[in-house]
Amino acid sequence: MKKITFLLLIAAAVLLAASPVYAQTPGGAPGGNWAIPIGVGLGMGLAAGLAGLGQGKVAGSVAEALARNPGARAGIQLALFIGLAFIESLVLFTFVLLFLRTS
Amino acid sequence: MPEQLAFTHFLNHYFGGLATALLHMVGIQPSHPSAPITNPVAMEILVVLLLLLFFVLVRLKMSVEKPGGLQHLVEAAEEFVAEQAHGVMGHGYERYIPYAITLLYFILLGNLLGLVPGFESPTANPAVPLGCAVLTFVYYHFHGIRVQRHRYIKQFLGPLWGLSWLMLPIEVVSHFARILSLTVRLYANMFAGDMVTLAFFSLVPVLVPVLFLGLHLFVSLVQTFIFVMLTLVYLGMAVSEEH
Repeated sequence: MKKITFLLLIAAAVLLAASPVYAQTPGGAPGGNWAIPIGVGLGMGLAAGLAGLGQGKVAGSVAEALARNPGARAGIQLALFIGLAFIESLVLFTFVLLFLRTS
Repeated sequence: MPEQLAFTHFLNHYFGGLATALLHMVGIQPSHPSAPITNPVAMEILVVLLLLLFFVLVRLKMSVEKPGGLQHLVEAAEEFVAEQAHGVMGHGYERYIPYAITLLYFILLGNLLGLVPGFESPTANPAVPLGCAVLTFVYYHFHGIRVQRHRYIKQFLGPLWGLSWLMLPIEVVSHFARILSLTVRLYANMFAGDMVTLAFFSLVPVLVPVLFLGLHLFVSLVQTFIFVMLTLVYLGMAVSEEH
């Protein structure tokens, strides 16, 4: 019973505090360039999705390598982190570019 | 008047005039003469002060017989970096450990400062990671030239003499791209972490943003590690004899 009251209170807090979010006009200023949100969504989605594919391959290979040779953990983890960082930085380039071009 | 954090306000109140005078001496006109010290600079100064305090504390309490908690922490960090450097660079890595550890402490504290309410990450501003990246660039080229002398140019010429006119511009561009990638990786991770927390805070203002603060904590640690590791990798490539 106490739990349900707690959840209800949280729900009430959420509804009270989050209402300004829904009161904003959608799509930003009227008369703005409508292609910008579409471009941002497409660009960021493509970048994130393709990087996800790449990082998935990396993680899969690392799991395989660790299963074959658990003794080589240190070297494998080093290659994992550096590889992931290089892949991820491409997404972040996209993010920064989008941010610079839209704000 | 820009929005100021408490520490920035404190600095500007006591040192604002001095900073404005210094900026005028080098011919820069601050955009807000009453508040010349911006938030990232103030946070950087705070990080440096905290680190100084930390190091002085560690030095005062250092002992061989009875190592305290702080000493264990510092020794663990040193051992970790030394182990990684040994794996990347092989023999002769000891000389570069101080730089790598200084970088580690500075970036780590800079990243984690953003998690404390009332402060922000200095690394979430592109200038601060750019400073670290340029320093790393200068440092590894300096040591490359120090170790290899005139043979260092061979690293830029590629394996074949006939193709060196093609390889030189490519290598030069790729070395400068390292500055860009180090800068943008650290800056964009910190900035994106803040933005994600903010976005979820505006959607659900209770409990949920804490998850993203936890994620940000993890990202802070990983990005510090990556920055230091890449510094060591670049150093290792610059000072290695065979090529």
